[in-house]
Amino acid sequence: MYDPLQATMRVGASGLEAQSRRLRVIAENMANAHSTGRTPGSDPYARRVITFESQLDETADANLVRVASVEQPRASFRVEHMPGHPAADANGFVRMPNVDLVVEAADMREANRSYEANLQAIRQAREMITMTLDLLRTT
Amino acid sequence: MIDAVSSLSPSVGAPAAVGGVGTAAVRPGAASATVDAGADFGAMVSQLASHAAGVVRNAENISVAGIQGSATVQQVVEAVMSAEQTLQGAVAIRDKVVAAYLELSRMQI
Repeated sequence: MYDPLQATMRVGASGLEAQSRRLRVIAENMANAHSTGRTPGSDPYARRVITFESQLDETADANLVRVASVEQPRASFRVEHMPGHPAADANGFVRMPNVDLVVEAADMREANRSYEANLQAIRQAREMITMTLDLLRTT
Repeated sequence: MIDAVSSLSPSVGAPAAVGGVGTAAVRPGAASATVDAGADFGAMVSQLASHAAGVVRNAENISVAGIQGSATVQQVVEAVMSAEQTLQGAVAIRDKVVAAYLELSRMQI
């Protein structure tokens, strides 16, 4: 039998890793919010979305979380009128990435909160383990 | 009385045995570490110590990997915290059992 409190910490650690990967994808989206193609008519950067799935950990008998996939959802690119841009078409329109900075900022905030929640679970498990061990110390 | 104290060791030694850490490399001198838990007091203590040493060694390896950038911060923290707890548990149990034996040695004869 695996210690449930140890399993809690393991689950929390997997949550931390999942959320940090999520933050990485968000950072990529934000950094590439203005990454266009180089040639006329070429595709700009496409926004990425991360998905998670649960994963059974055999030894701990607990459901961890892991990154299922990083996908590029189908969404139309917006166009901006920028004549002279390398990626501008004959009418001077450039296709821009489908990244909405407000959406990414909201997603980032959610990733941050989720990370904090997982940290709190780990902290709580550690505290409970320490409290139980303290029974041995004080007679 | 002595039986009562000794009977503590199987339950104490069992978690260390479950961990399955290679004890031979950690404590070459303690050949009794392979003796089943509860055989004698020294074997139990050395088993506890070697298990804790193995966990700490694992934490060290992951810490070095983290400094080199091949392990994530979360992995480093998890390993170090696990080592810290194992050590705390081992020390607490050792203190308890040693205190029990000291108590016996102080008995008026």
